[in-house]
Amino acid sequence: MYTFHSINELLNALVLGKELLGQMFGKRKSFDYRYDQAIEVLEESKVDSLIEKGVIIRNGRYLEIEDQLLSFFEQILDVNEEINISLINEHIMLLKENVDYYLAEDSEHRRYKYLRTIKAALRKIGFICLRNIVDLKRNIDNTFKTEPNYKIKIKKLENYDQRRIDIKQLIRITDKFVTEDELTFFAIAKDDELNRITTELRLQLQDGRHNLIETEKQIIDFLNQVKHQSKIIEKIRQVKYLKDQFELESKSDIISQLLEMNPVAFESRPTFPVKLSLDLLQEDDTYSIIKSINQRLKSSVKLKVPLAKAIDADFFNDTEETDVFINIDEMKNNFMATGHHLLDFVMQYDYPKEVSFEEIVTCYCQLISLYEDNFHFTDNYVTHMGSEFSVVYPK
Amino acid sequence: MATYNLKKDVFELLSKGGFICSNSSKPQTQKLYNYIDENFDKLEDYFIEINYFLTRGDEYFHFTRPEQKVDINRKLEQAFRWIDIVDFFKSYDSSFGSGYRFEPQEISVHLKVNATLKSKLKALKKYTGTDNELDGIKKLVERLRSDGFVELEDEVSDSYKVLASFSYLEALILNINLSEEVKDEIPE
Repeated sequence: MYTFHSINELLNALVLGKELLGQMFGKRKSFDYRYDQAIEVLEESKVDSLIEKGVIIRNGRYLEIEDQLLSFFEQILDVNEEINISLINEHIMLLKENVDYYLAEDSEHRRYKYLRTIKAALRKIGFICLRNIVDLKRNIDNTFKTEPNYKIKIKKLENYDQRRIDIKQLIRITDKFVTEDELTFFAIAKDDELNRITTELRLQLQDGRHNLIETEKQIIDFLNQVKHQSKIIEKIRQVKYLKDQFELESKSDIISQLLEMNPVAFESRPTFPVKLSLDLLQEDDTYSIIKSINQRLKSSVKLKVPLAKAIDADFFNDTEETDVFINIDEMKNNFMATGHHLLDFVMQYDYPKEVSFEEIVTCYCQLISLYEDNFHFTDNYVTHMGSEFSVVYPK
Repeated sequence: MATYNLKKDVFELLSKGGFICSNSSKPQTQKLYNYIDENFDKLEDYFIEINYFLTRGDEYFHFTRPEQKVDINRKLEQAFRWIDIVDFFKSYDSSFGSGYRFEPQEISVHLKVNATLKSKLKALKKYTGTDNELDGIKKLVERLRSDGFVELEDEVSDSYKVLASFSYLEALILNINLSEEVKDEIPE
């Protein structure tokens, strides 16, 4: 193992591998940074020198940043994911030792040295506590959101809960150390800075305690949610299995469960058909709606329109028919010009065709009914061929 | 007048077997949810008169009937369909539940790498009626949507949101008790 002789040498080595270390740090979680990739970023000789100095460790084809350095980077950059409570423990041990030394030491100068160590340790404890709580929170959150396996998720969350209890315990110990255990030391030391640091530490611890309460709530909530979820998943798997085996009805109480409840969701969708009012149907807007709906309706039944037979060609030929009509109007005019009574007139009229007596009587009646106003009716009657006719003269 | 309209809307939504959920992204549904939440007792009395029992679930409301209205076969059929569909979506993502957002497209991409899911979708052909995977998923989502368990949140990206009513389905399945010896028969 290579040992650095001075801090400068270490810094120089880090500067030399700056780019490579940056890249490797970015991919530290995937554990598959290859040697070939490294020599593309940095000259081969430099990579080899870094490996020789132990900054990078070569593992077959793969490269890794040295563990100590990696955790140093992570801590400084606040990105470490491990929650390390042993650090606090160590610091408390250190504190206790130094307090003992301080109390036993006579030389003022040396006492001061111990005091400085104590102050540094006190300062660090508060900081580490808070850092751990923040990390814990982030980890819990990440686990809850990203861990796909329910069993592992529950285990991880339970472990984090244990960590939370540990941190809580450490806060209690630290608090006790400052307020109860070492009262003599704090009374003797009488140092303004120490007092300030202690107060600050106690505030930090207080803060930490409050944060932990929140974290505890969150863990419990997450655990409950996860357990509920995994319970659902498990149940669905079982129910679905039985259903696919057609055994669900016989091997579970689903029927009695369903019989007990009557949600509307199980019913078929009801429709409430309402007849349209005739007034509405007559509106122009409605007509266009009806038309558009009608277009959508595609009936599979095809209406068979009965076809008429072809029209006979004879119908298209003009046929002429001549008939002779008796012009009643002309008869009236002639009658008006004569002095005869109507029956005489119709009997003697020069008809355009042969007429029977019945037709003559028809003409007589037609004339009277059509031109009643132009005739003068007398009270006399004449008898002709066994029928009585009124004697009518023109006016 | 406003209250009258809200009552009408509540009835129209719930009488069709729908749900009114607190986490709906539609302002109108949220308004209805708050309205029911504030006037629950009054509305409960109101709807019981027309034989509907307004029921409060975990962040959702729905109607139940005071007495049996549908025969058990229809209920079983409906329950089985829900079990199948819930099983499919839970297999896609175990956190599929109230508040979950998804796109049918995503699920169809996931099918390519998840053979179990693919076979499950195939088994659901009786509901989907198609061999096309994306269409099949869309049909299942549409069923959930028409039953009121998810809603279309963004038409452009075709993304859906699972509503609080989904916990009704979860509760329904959780409530089914299996006999102890059967539990051991079911393979892991």
